[in-house]
Amino acid sequence: MNLWDADERRYAQIQNRDIFKYWSHLGAFIFFFCVHLRPNKKELKMHVTTEQIEGRRVSQVGWRPLVRAILRHRLSVVGIVIIFIIVVMAVFAPFLAPYDPNKQNLYKVLKGPSKDHWLGTDNVGRDLLSRVIYGARISMYVGIVSTTFAAFIGILIGLIAGYRGGAIDNLVMRITDTFMCFPFLIFVLAMAAALGPGINNIIISISLLGWTGFARIIRGQVLLVRELPYVEAARAVGMSKYRIMFKHVLPNSLAPVIVAASITIGAAILTESSTAFLGLGVEPPTASWGKELRVGYTYLERVPLFSIAPGLMISLAVLAFNFLGDGLRDALDPRLRGETKK
Amino acid sequence: MQRYIAKRLLYSLLILLLVTVLVFVMVRIIPGDPIRAAMQQNVDLTDNKIVEEVRARYGLDRPIHVQFAIWLRDFLRGDWGKSLQTGEPVLNMFWRRLPITLELFVGATLWAWIIGFPLGLIGALKRNSFLDASLTTVAIAGVSIPSFWEGILLIYLFAVLFRIFPPSGFVPLFEDPWMNLKSILMPTFVMGTHSAGLLARYVRSSLLEVLRQDFVRTARAKGVPEKVVILTHTAKPAMIPVVTVIGLAWSYFVAGSFLVEYVFAIPGLGRMGVDAIFARDFPVIQAILMAVAVNVLLMNLLVDILYGYLDPRVRVH
Repeated sequence: MNLWDADERRYAQIQNRDIFKYWSHLGAFIFFFCVHLRPNKKELKMHVTTEQIEGRRVSQVGWRPLVRAILRHRLSVVGIVIIFIIVVMAVFAPFLAPYDPNKQNLYKVLKGPSKDHWLGTDNVGRDLLSRVIYGARISMYVGIVSTTFAAFIGILIGLIAGYRGGAIDNLVMRITDTFMCFPFLIFVLAMAAALGPGINNIIISISLLGWTGFARIIRGQVLLVRELPYVEAARAVGMSKYRIMFKHVLPNSLAPVIVAASITIGAAILTESSTAFLGLGVEPPTASWGKELRVGYTYLERVPLFSIAPGLMISLAVLAFNFLGDGLRDALDPRLRGETKK
Repeated sequence: MQRYIAKRLLYSLLILLLVTVLVFVMVRIIPGDPIRAAMQQNVDLTDNKIVEEVRARYGLDRPIHVQFAIWLRDFLRGDWGKSLQTGEPVLNMFWRRLPITLELFVGATLWAWIIGFPLGLIGALKRNSFLDASLTTVAIAGVSIPSFWEGILLIYLFAVLFRIFPPSGFVPLFEDPWMNLKSILMPTFVMGTHSAGLLARYVRSSLLEVLRQDFVRTARAKGVPEKVVILTHTAKPAMIPVVTVIGLAWSYFVAGSFLVEYVFAIPGLGRMGVDAIFARDFPVIQAILMAVAVNVLLMNLLVDILYGYLDPRVRVH
């Protein structure tokens, strides 16, 4: 047990300073994703023609109809609103939290809700509301960063496997099958045992397992898309393999990936909080929902709110991403369009 | 059909072999020298001779592929090593705890069916109604709520506020069946709700798909009562995607058992895994990882075979 404590102390020092350094990279990545990989206009037209020929829609192209379809889906709107609130909590935590989340007050230990402390205080007198607000940072960070990594690796490998086929494809599929024998939580726990606890190791292990799902999805899509007439046309014109892969096949294979990404973020948040709940997550002074719940659970009889509040936040976050994923799935599935008026 | 089963079986064995490689590698990526780490307290580490001697005794001086072959051979023979914590053979620990976890799995499966099937059925029959929408919401919520939190809430409700069930602990089935039932009712419910949500959604969409088919319309046109249409005509085809969920559910149960056994203090395999991970007890971690993978593989194999039985088209591919 002492082994962990030493690790935790060391990580704790790095933790508070470094964790949000990467937000700017992440932003740049998402920007790149949205702008660079957007299907270009010419293809859009070509695509529409194939749809007209075949008399049905192959996949949804362009953002605007997609956004409209999502906004029609009631549950996904609920999801978006919750996600927005949690993101605001994470980003503006220092302004929103009434107290310093790490400031202890041993005169006010395990108090119930009051005018000063809306959710009460924890076992060392820290303001629970502030800690719950700050906890959003860890969850969002782990969810988004690990999913981004996983999606990036998975898309790349899946794209190559699907487009090249043959031995590479075979190998990749066997590897994904192997990884898929392990549930997220157990894989992450085992990796934590090997690499040590800490948020970066959790992100690494989630990405290491998560890419397999993305790779399979994108591979399946690519196998469909690469047979479409406009890809054949691009090949006939003599475009290079990589240009076809990244500019033509990839953008039109992304739709199901977006659904998977939303659900994976939820799963990553759930995994992070489960790991934290078991005691291997984020390092002590830092607030995380799973960790709060772990401590709060010990005082269940005295202050139930101590376990209820962080647990509710985890549930809401995961729920929101699942709602969004559900809405996206319906919005992207042309067969369902016009039928779902939820 | 036999060829199909044989093919799936061989494929599962191949994946199992890859899994053993992965498990072997995972346990060996620990930074640092395991021998030095293990001997830290007892021996003067500056004496290289002793270190080399111990290394040779554990076979760690051999090339890595030979180590793997030896490890695999021992594993297949049932020599899973000894726990670093207690010194007990891992296999013994495993057999002692397996029935407890299996009991939880069976209970969770029952809960999932009891809750999931009716919800999905109602959702499909009353589709796009208010009831359907709220059932969908409940189903997604069931999938999203973390099992440990659900467990804590149940403990608060049924053990703290209303003292109906014991808050935690486990009584073996043959010792006291009634207390056993009481002690596993809450944990199995928690494990089951996740799969119930999943099941409800699959049953709903799969049933809707089948109800759209021509033969259902024909049956209705012939004047077959609605009850018979649902129960006899659509039951088998609608079961096909549902079979997948049952396989999926078992792999969720594995992860669930880690959390649920921790919350409810049940001495099963999940609890053993959590304890081993905290103590960095690698022989036990290895065994647990293998058990998890074998469980998932077996379930996938079973699902594939059931698929082949339910849907003849699958066998051809």
